[in-house]
Amino acid sequence: MHVVLADYFPVLVFVVIAFGIAGAMLGGSLLAGQQKPYAEKLSAYECGFDAFDDARRRFDVRFYLVSILFIIFDLEVAFLFPWAVALGRIGLFGFLSMLAFLGVLTVGFIYEWRKGALDWE
Amino acid sequence: MITQIVFWFFAVVLIGSAVMVVSARNPVHSVLFLILAFFNAAGLFLIAGAEFLAMILVIAYVGAVAVLFLFVVMMLDVNFSQLREGLQRYFPVGAAVGLVLFVELALSASAWRIAPNVRDLPHARVPGASSNTEALGELIYTHYVFLFQACGLVLLVAMIGAIVLTLRDRPSAKRQDVAVQHARVPADTLQMMTLGLGESTTGNGGFRRPIGKSAEKPVSRPALVIENSPDREG
Repeated sequence: MHVVLADYFPVLVFVVIAFGIAGAMLGGSLLAGQQKPYAEKLSAYECGFDAFDDARRRFDVRFYLVSILFIIFDLEVAFLFPWAVALGRIGLFGFLSMLAFLGVLTVGFIYEWRKGALDWE
Repeated sequence: MITQIVFWFFAVVLIGSAVMVVSARNPVHSVLFLILAFFNAAGLFLIAGAEFLAMILVIAYVGAVAVLFLFVVMMLDVNFSQLREGLQRYFPVGAAVGLVLFVELALSASAWRIAPNVRDLPHARVPGASSNTEALGELIYTHYVFLFQACGLVLLVAMIGAIVLTLRDRPSAKRQDVAVQHARVPADTLQMMTLGLGESTTGNGGFRRPIGKSAEKPVSRPALVIENSPDREG
């Protein structure tokens, strides 16, 4: 148990460094910079003109479709990692089983391609 | 000792952010607390020795599912302050459901017996496997091949379902069809006319498209008439 945590000590070091740099930048500008806020400076900035309306607008459902398709292929890739690591030990059967898995998802990929789900009109 | 400290840190932050997910007023803040909860759950997985699951939790849940949640929150366009007005009215029903759930959980937890040798199991190495990921890889693709293929089918169904539910043709949209573009030949849109000196095209029938394909399918560009001069031939 301790071995696992010890392995991740470098990650902890990086996290601490990242937080330190981010905090130093924020805190440094907070301490060293001159703060003269007024209403115009604090208002939402949109390329020099007034913000049109609320940012909480309805999105087109097509964004949702793109992100669902991304998740599915993300999960497909997640299955590839242990397969690639253990490929030398699982033999031809393991190789073919992954090929069948990829084949099923390729069917779906061809389907979405032919349906035009990847086009952005 | 250090493991215990790390465990309590992750567990406390996980519970705290989970409470904030439910109680935050702003739904976008809820999603951000959910991401924090995912990170802490990944830390707990690390302590339990499930390194691969921890990394997948970060990649798939933080990277993809949380983004999807953000989209859903944005797409719902629900007036959340209006939604909270019903809190008093629905409180008794919600409390009753919560109480039933709590009693069930308490009953099952009181009857729960932990197998005596299960403490050593999470840290028992698969013989020969050098890491958690390799141990998983040896089992998923051979021993659990049917479940693995079922995963592929579930992903396929999800893909097709998402397309069927959300993809609809927009007739007003201009799409690029490469095949149609490549199939276009000059004869579809171009007519060669020989005009005498000083004659106008009006006297020769005016601008008109070649009879044929273009009569059925309208082309976006107007027909061009090019004077038939010798240097443009060929």
